[in-house]
Parts: sequence; structure tokens; C-alpha cells
Amino acid sequence: MKAAPFAYHRPRSLEEALDLMAEHGDDAKALAGGQSLVPLMAMRLAQPAVIVDLGEVPELRGREGPSVRAMVTNAALERDPSGLPPIIADALPHLGHFQIRNRGTIGGSLAHADPAAEWPALALLLEATLTLRSRARGERRVPASAFMTGPLTTVLGADELVTGVSFPKWPADGRWGFAEVARRPGDFALAGAACTVIGGHRRVVVFAAGPRPQLLGHGDEIEAGGDLHAGAGYRRTVAGRLVERVLAQAGEVA
Amino acid sequence: MITVNGREHAVDIDPRVTLADFLRDRLGLTGTHLGCEHGVCGACTVLLDGDAVRSCLLFAVQADGHAVTTVEGLATAGERSPLQAAFERHRAFQCGFCTPGFLLSAQALLDRGVPLDRENLPGLLAGNLCRCTGYEPILEAVLEVYGRR
Repeated sequence: MKAAPFAYHRPRSLEEALDLMAEHGDDAKALAGGQSLVPLMAMRLAQPAVIVDLGEVPELRGREGPSVRAMVTNAALERDPSGLPPIIADALPHLGHFQIRNRGTIGGSLAHADPAAEWPALALLLEATLTLRSRARGERRVPASAFMTGPLTTVLGADELVTGVSFPKWPADGRWGFAEVARRPGDFALAGAACTVIGGHRRVVVFAAGPRPQLLGHGDEIEAGGDLHAGAGYRRTVAGRLVERVLAQAGEVA
Repeated sequence: MITVNGREHAVDIDPRVTLADFLRDRLGLTGTHLGCEHGVCGACTVLLDGDAVRSCLLFAVQADGHAVTTVEGLATAGERSPLQAAFERHRAFQCGFCTPGFLLSAQALLDRGVPLDRENLPGLLAGNLCRCTGYEPILEAVLEVYGRR
């Protein structure tokens, strides 16, 4: 349970961080809050040769309303969720334990792309846009629907950083629902669902059931997989019930 | 430079050493316990600039320039802190392995002025596992200190 040796860099600016990512490419991993990467390194499921610690990069901190920079912690958003779609305030207490939220960041969670994590699901549901940057490609903006391609897999290049995420303005008449089932509060969900209803238009996302968050169209079957925590049938059933529950929260009839 | 329980330390350290291992092995502060070493059990919880964090999910180099409080930093001049005294009164431990993590998690909630009650406290402390007490005496101890603020 001890990480393999690595070279450590702590850039003091975004320019320096991008240079390091460009130089070390495939050998490098960016370290944000470390709440997913460090356990993977402890178990040696990840053995990056180079760590680029983003903890002292001022350009990745702070937010302007619904535009959140990558290194903003979940705890900071929980303390002050003003200007964000209100479903985020409902979801944040589920996002690990408070000790994890003190370190875990929005950018780190999106880049890690765990199928059971809340941020990838919320970004997809709310039609967020991610901002990515690298030396080779400069800045590009990617819709959340195109960002995550599979479990722990995204379109992020080896030399690229998530620098921020932007949520659309939330309409005053918008309604929403959020629910998940976990064995213990704060643990990864065994299944989760979230919805928005905006101007009569319903959007439903299921997460933690399958390989990535799923935007559920009318009549779609829920993609579910099994592992040692829960079987596929259980996950599909529970996710289906959670969809009914979140729609009811939003005042809709499933 | 890292400040631990008010004392500054300037040391060279291998980047792969976690804050928990640094505290235990380099500084001899073995009150910080290591259970799961991947962020599930909470036994290694310490305060980093006043916030409760898992010291097994942080490399010691990341705490450079920051202040850490461990369970050894709770008592003042050998006098138990109010929370430590309440844990003793309520017998909020048996084997004691999880106790440092519970103390620091609960201390952070008290310090940050988080509203606490019988309803929300079990969820807030769910990030710390105890295999002995059944949690009830721990909840009672924390709520007693909260009520006496």
C-alpha cells in the first residue's frame, strides 16, 4: 500500500504546468486533490513516473458564477453554491465524506471519470462545457457529452489539463431531482439518478450503474454492469426506481 | 517547511511518502493510525490548515507550507481537550484504533461551526469506521461537547 517512486514537480503557474505536461506526456499524471489518484497509486494500479502537482497553480483556482476552475474543491462549492444550478448543492453532500470533499476537486473528478462519480453525471445532465488546455492544441472547449468515453476514459490528451468547467445559466422555473444508493453515506453509489425539467423538457441521467453516465431517452434501457459490490440486475432495478424518485422530486410523473 | 502541532520542520523527503507515513515514521507521531491506506476507514484523519483530511491520501510534499494538527496536538500541557475528556467520560472507544481519526473529524466539525444534531451526525461521521463501539458513545460524546459550546 505504498506508491511506487516518481519524480515530483510543483509548478507555480499554468504555463509551467503545461510545459511539464508537454515534456513528460504519457509518463506524467496531473495531481489535483489526489482523492482518486493517490489510492490508485497506493494500490499500484497507477504508477506514473512523473507527478505534476497542480496544488500551487493560481490560474486553476476560483470561479466566476457558474464557470468553475479545475482546482476548486468540492468543500468550497458546498460552502458557497451560489450561482450554480441548484441540483449541485443537493448532490455535493453525497460526493464522498466531508474529509474527501476538503481535498477533492471538480476538475480532478471530471478528468478521472469514474462511472460512479457525481461530477461526470452532473456535467452531462446540465450540459456543461469543459475547457482543456495543452501546449500542442492550445485551448479547446468540449461538451460534457463528448468528454467521457468509457470507465476512467476521456478525450483528454496525455499532455492536456482540464482547466475549468462551465455550467449554463439555470432558469428560474427549472426543476430537478437527485438521488443515489450507497452502502454507507459518502461511499461510491451502487446506482444513482438525476434529472432536470426545464420549460417542459425533461433530461434524465443514470450513473454508477454502467460504464459511464447515461443520458436516458424515453424508452431507453438502463445500461448496467455487475461487480463484487452489486450485480447488473440489482443495479438496473435500483437505477430504474431512482429515476422514478428523481422525477417525482421534480414534480413529474414517471 | 511543514508545521506540525505548532512546530516547524524543514526536511528532505521522498515525494512518494504519504503525510501519514511522514508523521509516524519521521516525526514519531504514531497517534495517527493507518487502517486501510486508501481513504475508506478515516483512522489517519488529521487537520490540514484546520480542515479534516485523510493523511494517507496526501503526499507529505503537498503539505509543504501548510499547518498540520494531529491527535498529539489536541491536548494542551497534558490536559485533555474537551472532546478527548468527553470521549473518556462516554467510553467512546474500546480498542482505540479509530479514536484519533474520530477526534480530529469531530474537532473539525466543532471548529467550523457545522450545525450538529442526532439526525445529521451519523452521516457526517460516516467517513470514520469503528468496529467496537457501535458508534453510540462517540455520537453522545460529540453532541455533549457541541451542546456545551
